Amino acid sequence: MSLLDNTQLSLESAMNGSMYRQTLLANDLANADTPGFQPQDVDFQQQLADAVAGGKSPKSMQFTPTTESQSTSVDGNGVDTDVVNADIAENGLLYQTLTQVAAARNGILQSAINSTS
Amino acid sequence: MSFFDALNVSATGLTATRTEMDVTAENLANAQSSNNGTPYKPQAVVLSSIGSNSFQQELSDAMGTGSSPSDVGGVEVSGIVSENVPNQLVYDPTSPSANAKGYVEEPDVQPVTEMTNLISESDSYQADVTAMATTKQMYSSTLELLQA
Repeated sequence: MSLLDNTQLSLESAMNGSMYRQTLLANDLANADTPGFQPQDVDFQQQLADAVAGGKSPKSMQFTPTTESQSTSVDGNGVDTDVVNADIAENGLLYQTLTQVAAARNGILQSAINSTS
Repeated sequence: MSFFDALNVSATGLTATRTEMDVTAENLANAQSSNNGTPYKPQAVVLSSIGSNSFQQELSDAMGTGSSPSDVGGVEVSGIVSENVPNQLVYDPTSPSANAKGYVEEPDVQPVTEMTNLISESDSYQADVTAMATTKQMYSSTLELLQA
């Protein structure tokens, strides 16, 4: 058995996915006024769940971005700034939750390493 | 994908928006200007999105070690162009540059349009700053993870 179990590896992968999503969302926001730009997003949780359910190791996951094009303005831009803003806030909080869970699990591992009885 | 991609992307947004604001300010400042009788033409910024072409991205693509495909690099100002609008004619027969009928050609800068643009640009800037703050928070929580 390895030191880091599947849950810890999944947490790491989810953090990677969340950071990737943050990059995509930041890009959407930066391109909110670029003509013809269509926003990108990634459902990293679904992709991770699918990978784990399919028996694949959550380590070194490849996340695939999706391009959405629902609302378009006159210049062909599909970015809804309010939605992207809300997504960024949500993603930031999710990332913090992930790091706190990972830190708590690290703490458990640490106390096992440090116990001297 | 490099670790600080999200911050860099937001930074490109800030740069582009600031350029837009500069151009808006220039249009307003030159609302009455003319250069040797040729009235000032309002300027407009052309934005385009850029793909990631960082060294790390190229390297990890070549080695196939990238954790995720990354074609996001933010936004850039691809040009500043003169708007193709006719000059407006103002009746001012006392002006030295008035034509035979007493009209003076002046730049077609619409203060209301420029101010509206300024508001939307300032909103974009603020949105980018907010995204940056969230990303910063994410990085610092990663650092706290290392302290545990």
